[in-house]
Amino acid sequence: MVTLSLEGIAKTFPNGTVALRGVDLTLAPGRVHGLLGANGAGKSTLIKILAGALAPTAGTIRRGGEPVRWSTPRGAKAAGVATIYQHIPLVPTLSAIENILLDEGGWRRSRAADRARIAALVTSLGDPFPLDALVADLPIGARQMVAIAQALAAGAGVVVMDEPTASLAGHERTRVYETIRRLAGEGKAVLFVSHFIDEIMALTDEVTVLRDGRTVLHAETAGLESHAIAAAIAGRSVTALERAAEPRTLGAPVLEVRDLASPGRLAPTSFTLRAGEILGLAGTLGSGRSELLHAIFGTDRRASGTVLLDGAPVGRWPDEAVAAGIALVPEDRAAQGYVPALTLAENIALPHGGRWLLDADADRTAADDAIRRLAIKAPGPDAAPGELSGGNAQKVVIAKWLSPATRVLLLDEPTAGIDIGARTDILRLIRALADGGLPVILVSSEFEELLAVCDRLLVLRDGAVVGEADPAASTESDLILMAGGGRAPVGAAA
Amino acid sequence: MIDWRRTFGLREAGVHYALLLLLGVLAALAASRGLPPYLSSQNLGNIAYQASLVGIMGVAMTVMLITGAFDLSVASVAALAAAVLIGLAGQVGFVPAAGAALCVAASIGLLNGAIVQFVGINAFIVTLGTLTAVRGLVLILTDGRSLMVEQPQVLAEMLAFESTRVPLFWPLLALAAGLIALGAVRRLPLTIAGGVVVGALALLAGPGFTVAAPVVYLALFTALVWFVLRFTVAGRRLYAVGGNAEAARLSGINVHAYRLGAFVLSSVAAGFAGILFGCRLGAINPTALQGAELTVIAAAILGGTSLFGGAGSVVKTVAGALLLFTLTNGFNVLDLGANYQGLIEGIVVVAAAAIYTIGADRRRDRPAAAEEAAA
Repeated sequence: MVTLSLEGIAKTFPNGTVALRGVDLTLAPGRVHGLLGANGAGKSTLIKILAGALAPTAGTIRRGGEPVRWSTPRGAKAAGVATIYQHIPLVPTLSAIENILLDEGGWRRSRAADRARIAALVTSLGDPFPLDALVADLPIGARQMVAIAQALAAGAGVVVMDEPTASLAGHERTRVYETIRRLAGEGKAVLFVSHFIDEIMALTDEVTVLRDGRTVLHAETAGLESHAIAAAIAGRSVTALERAAEPRTLGAPVLEVRDLASPGRLAPTSFTLRAGEILGLAGTLGSGRSELLHAIFGTDRRASGTVLLDGAPVGRWPDEAVAAGIALVPEDRAAQGYVPALTLAENIALPHGGRWLLDADADRTAADDAIRRLAIKAPGPDAAPGELSGGNAQKVVIAKWLSPATRVLLLDEPTAGIDIGARTDILRLIRALADGGLPVILVSSEFEELLAVCDRLLVLRDGAVVGEADPAASTESDLILMAGGGRAPVGAAA
Repeated sequence: MIDWRRTFGLREAGVHYALLLLLGVLAALAASRGLPPYLSSQNLGNIAYQASLVGIMGVAMTVMLITGAFDLSVASVAALAAAVLIGLAGQVGFVPAAGAALCVAASIGLLNGAIVQFVGINAFIVTLGTLTAVRGLVLILTDGRSLMVEQPQVLAEMLAFESTRVPLFWPLLALAAGLIALGAVRRLPLTIAGGVVVGALALLAGPGFTVAAPVVYLALFTALVWFVLRFTVAGRRLYAVGGNAEAARLSGINVHAYRLGAFVLSSVAAGFAGILFGCRLGAINPTALQGAELTVIAAAILGGTSLFGGAGSVVKTVAGALLLFTLTNGFNVLDLGANYQGLIEGIVVVAAAAIYTIGADRRRDRPAAAEEAAA
């Protein structure tokens, strides 16, 4: 097992953008190194350099003291560095074992020796998936384990994990944590990238925080406090969202949901939402949170029940829901939120019909307003949403619905996978909108967020509402208990 | 503000350059062989006439591709419309027969779209099926023989619809004046330049310049669809449906309606092309227009339309159709050996696609850097 050290790694793109300004990082055998940073701090560039997808413009990589260079993913792999990406690149139509063996040489499709080797490896990971299952049939957590097995099968000594837990539910995360600990125990060096400070605190031995392409913090985890990490990421002291000092005054009932159900996904659910109320939906992934939103919005075709807006029933198709004033900010912004081929201004104008001809000037003005109001970091209204970082793209998706026509706002994980600055911006915006009288339903995996922002909480488990909670009188652990497990406590697997 | 490099770059304007280059090469060849001038208004009018049917179908196909779907059945639908027209015109007269032909075409589009949208089969497979089935229907209707219109007066009506020469000198000058005026008022240098070019061409062609009616139909249809795509909410939503159907649906856009509409438009345009084809000859043989769907798709690809939806321009599709028919015309006029024609056409299509793909890759490089800059 060898130590991999990066010294003064810098990266300047041909267009002059400086992504990294000299980063030092040491990955030692048997240690887990946490890497944090806001979106755009240079994490992705650093990972791409480690993975061989980009070449650094300055600096050296040393492996056991010897300078090494690679500029292709194959080269990185040959040097014993395996990278596991957040969006798992697997072939869905092949089986798990074939994916694991994808980059092996030879001419035979399956060999007994390979199979035995991989079977042993997968057993050592705790048999998270059947070897011959099609990857397309596996749940996302098992796919993550396939990717990890793929990295280990090549015999990597250094494992780079780019937000491996971002899209996983509680028990799946626990499995990843166990795996990381096992890898470190076997003497491998692990670079663990995450947005979750609690994970970093529980799992890592040392921490590096990047900001603007520089290392702003490097320390042993043991001596660190989590708010010090948060402050280093944000670069200013994080003003954590305070809970509302006193109960907010709510208006008249706006949205009434009666016996809304969807076979196999959602048990009959009824509730009423008042003007200016923020209703939080707490629960684990797959507990029926998103399903409830989609049933309200009419995108779930099998849903039955009634949705009343100001006492009038809303049609059961999404275009009717939008026409009535219900807006949904979906969970997956790239796949469901924006159209990459359209500009920012065009995306923001997309839901607003009611006229025949386009009014490009009005659309641009509206986009300029949104850029200012939501503090979207974008070159201008003609920028493509795909060019923006995650938090800013999310703001664009929200901006689509900031019009007087919106009567009810449904938000599905609006802060998932975005940095702490944008997250605070979005939560503040939600509060401001509610103060203006807009009722909001907020789904979030971050119970802390729900407790800080919401007026009322519904807790879901297995597709049914199992309880209601008053955020002023509840703690995060209350919610975790009610949701039946929730995100497994990070320390449990230790 | 104009992004000159983008507007005039190979990816945005490549098909226009290719068309001009080809015309230049053919003109030089014609001159060197002592043939009559290739770039005469008469010959250019001929090329446009030959390209008009494929152009009309290509414009609708572009809309189809923009929504992310695909229609292989256009040539068969055109042949069916022609067969319905020829079969009925003798009994009911030209206009009712043409109306019936358009209705038949529209219903096939509706069928295609309904199967694709509501059964969920891939458009390629569905329209491959209807390509074959509708051609079979043509064979059944015609009993495998050529049909023709016997009544001289109906035939005259049909010829009048298809072969009338339309004088274009004054309309073109009016268009040029309009463009220059609009450009001056709104301060659009490109519009002024376009107006000057149109005016200059009209003056070069002379007051006697006429084209066949299908060219005018193509121009009007293209202008209409271009306007809808460029300036209306419906146009933007068509791009959104193809660019990210799920995002469009969650924005409250009726994705089914737009997709279905594109299928109907495609089939109706094919039906109209079929009517023009039937009128041209006053007869239809059951294998008419076989294989034309590939030329239509080739024209759209030459025009830079993405097969994955969300991007495309009808004006460039028409330029693509003109490019393909300029090749054909050049081979015939210059007698360059018809055997080489298919080879050259195929190479041109692949080369065009390569240019678009490489251009798109370069565009994709920029966003990654811009992301770093924005953050």
